[in-house]
Amino acid sequence: MKKINKMNVKFACSFILAIGTLHSVSTLADTTYEDHLADEANGADWLSYSGGYKSHRFSPLSQINTANVDQLKVMWAYQMQPTGISGAGLQETTPVVSDGIMYLTESPSSVTALDARSGNLLWHWSPDISNEVLNIGFPRINRGVALLDNNVYVATLDARLFALDARTGAVRWETQVADNSLGFSLTLAPLALDGKIIVGVSGAEAGVRAFLDAYDASSGQRLWRTFTVPEPGEPGSETWQGDDWETGGGSTWLTGSYDPELDLLYWTTGNPAPDWNGDLRPGDNLYTCSVIAFDPETGEMRWHFQYTPHDTHDWDANQIPVLVDGEFEGQQRKLLALANRNAFYYLLDRATGEFLLAEEYSYQTWAEGIDENGRPIVIPNTEPTREGVLVWPSLQGATNWFSPSYNPQTEQFFVANRRMGAIYFKADAEYQPGQPFLGGGEQALDGDQATGAILALDVMSGEQQWEFELLTPPWSGVMATSGGLVFGSSNEGQFFALDAATGDPLWNFNTGAHIRTNPMGFSIDDNQRVAIIGGQTLFVLGLE
Amino acid sequence: MPFRFILRPLRRSIVALPPALFTALICYSLPVLAQEAEAGEQLFQTHCARCHGILGEGGEGPSLKRPQLNHAPDDDALYSVITEGIPGTGMPGSWMLSPADGRQLVSYVRNLGQLPDEPMPGDPSAGEIVYNNAGNCASCHILNGIGEGIGPQLNGVGARRNSEYLRRSVTSPEVEQPKIVDRFRGTLNAFLTVRIVSERGTYEGMRINEDAFTVQMRDLAGDIYSFEKADLLSFEKAFGHSYMPGYGAVLTETQINDVVSYLMTLRD
Ligand code: HEC
Ligand code: HEC
Repeated sequence: MKKINKMNVKFACSFILAIGTLHSVSTLADTTYEDHLADEANGADWLSYSGGYKSHRFSPLSQINTANVDQLKVMWAYQMQPTGISGAGLQETTPVVSDGIMYLTESPSSVTALDARSGNLLWHWSPDISNEVLNIGFPRINRGVALLDNNVYVATLDARLFALDARTGAVRWETQVADNSLGFSLTLAPLALDGKIIVGVSGAEAGVRAFLDAYDASSGQRLWRTFTVPEPGEPGSETWQGDDWETGGGSTWLTGSYDPELDLLYWTTGNPAPDWNGDLRPGDNLYTCSVIAFDPETGEMRWHFQYTPHDTHDWDANQIPVLVDGEFEGQQRKLLALANRNAFYYLLDRATGEFLLAEEYSYQTWAEGIDENGRPIVIPNTEPTREGVLVWPSLQGATNWFSPSYNPQTEQFFVANRRMGAIYFKADAEYQPGQPFLGGGEQALDGDQATGAILALDVMSGEQQWEFELLTPPWSGVMATSGGLVFGSSNEGQFFALDAATGDPLWNFNTGAHIRTNPMGFSIDDNQRVAIIGGQTLFVLGLE
Repeated sequence: MPFRFILRPLRRSIVALPPALFTALICYSLPVLAQEAEAGEQLFQTHCARCHGILGEGGEGPSLKRPQLNHAPDDDALYSVITEGIPGTGMPGSWMLSPADGRQLVSYVRNLGQLPDEPMPGDPSAGEIVYNNAGNCASCHILNGIGEGIGPQLNGVGARRNSEYLRRSVTSPEVEQPKIVDRFRGTLNAFLTVRIVSERGTYEGMRINEDAFTVQMRDLAGDIYSFEKADLLSFEKAFGHSYMPGYGAVLTETQINDVVSYLMTLRD
């Protein structure tokens, strides 16, 4: 007995010692709202989808830089776990990292927590999702989680929102956001604000009337819901006729941005429904293909800007709204930059929504330009027809959901660019609940007839500084770093680093499978890491 | 054949019903089938006809007027061919199809399978002799394990392509070039002629693969080369060029009909 006791004491002592010296190994700090406010400057963590409320997807770390990036090596890899749900093989998640723990989603809606040092599994959670789940117009994917306090939040393909205990993956609460049998689905990473979780919905290809929701982070109670298509009598309803608004689309399927000083939440919206037959919904179709500034307390709209009025090419404006502070035409301003699927780059004043500038960043054949109010000057006969009409860009756009990146130190905006045309067709469409409501389609000029590129734009003018050409139109985003680098990837499977000043390729690594995610970065024990998913495998790379 | 497919969703919703009612529902499903095939025709013309022909007679894709499809032995397999495509071939999947659309297309394609297939323009056994002698096709194609692999393997080519396509392949090979639909990269030419100049010399052949940084090619001797694009002096792609000679001038019309007929018999 005595002997055992003695051993126990000894064991306890060394255990306390371990906690004292290696605190970063064993503590799990809560991810507070204050942590989110400081995330942009904090290179160690990556707390939200776009790496901070301003959505810069920028890593302020410079240990990996233009001089040594060619020595990058894989530190660990993690292979995703099949769920048995068919068609769920694409991975579009951005992992987040908080205090040494990485949280990522696996398609269609599972969550995995890993030790960010070793890649070892801490927990894995998978919701019960039926193989018959509807995902009309998009693959069975998920883009990531939100972190707040002790919880991890995940939105699911069958339109539920879950809060999981960050330490164990146990369910704290769950709520049904919308009805999947009508075509509603959630694939985006939620956004955590102060005590609130914001989620949007997919479903315009099924003719849903979309909305943005806020939920109480601790109880799961819905705090507000704002529809992105107004009902008769509401502002904007004059841009619809008859009951077209009931099936009007305007999905909110990509994570937005937040300005804590202005206390405005920015969220983008997708196409009107049906996609390609505009005759069935005359008018501008507000607030589709727009960016909207919301009051996060009430969900009221403060302003909106519509990029593509009466869209007939499926050019969702669901790209990342990047919040930029700087001098525009001699004046210090708070700006919102967005490289739109419609091939134009836009700058808005994010306090007022005032249109400041639009610049064509990719070849397009549908607009002569953008007028002084921000409205496109549409070239006649570029709408889809029964016989088909060839237009650039294709319905997947000049870019798409994958993220751009902004380096505030050099005022450069980086975007992965798709250069592809398509023959657009118009067809009849009749709304039936839970069925595709498309009104046409496209035949893309893809493969050898298309290319892609990574572009560097001057954020204030939208002018191109350089381009790095890719073989085929990419499906993956970019991340710039303080080390003078831009990380990007290709369909062919390379993860690569470009010199941010020139666009010259400095390093590349073949992951062995297509890449459809955004890069992200963090550090562990003061060692910088970058992460990317190729196929079903997550790679975490570093120098040491 | 389509019965099984229709039955499945029905059975799911009526598991608890007595057998008599079950039979009644099967009978009821017959007119539904006819409707499905009709709606399937519309869908087929929108999504499939550009490759499989307006009447399913084939083109870039095979004729579907065949009772047995290699990739689709049963309706479940046919459904997944239609919705997910056939990886590594020119057959794409389509996200624009709902499950109901997919089922309608299954019915429609099975109906096509009941139609008489294309007649052969000539004599296949005479064609086999042309293939091995006058045509010397085996100098560039592997068939049943025999020949050189400069062009594509021809096993099963009669199931993949219709007679018109095969004729064009023989007479104007530069027009019909096999493509690979990569789910992520799109439609890529599988035998693209490339010309590469590096400091070590000039290389001509067919592209095997390519990415933003490198390119791999095979020359007519069968040697495989890999290049870093950054090291190249020039890199040209000759779309519309084929290493296969046009046989219009070499073979008689009868020989062409015969060799096309022979190719049509190569079904697995
Ligand atoms: C871009 C051209 C293209 C389109 C569009 C296309 N196909 Fe195909 N399809 C092909 C090619 C090429 C093949 C042969 C693949 C192989 O085995 O090499 C094929 C194969 C098939 C097969 C397998 C045949 C067999 O013998 O097993 C079926 C069935 C089929 N397609 C049905 C369809 C249907 C139904 C549609 C419309 C929804 C469609 N395809 C659209 C090109 C196409
Ligand atoms: C000098 C080499 C060469 C010879 C000889 C040759 N071929 Fe080819 N063949 C090719 C190449 C290369 C292709 C790939 C497509 C292209 O380049 O047009 C091809 C393509 C084809 C195709 C199209 C296959 C598909 O799936 O699309 C057919 C069919 C074909 N050849 C049949 C023949 C026949 C029959 C003969 C003899 C009469 C023949 N070839 C002789 C090189 C050759």
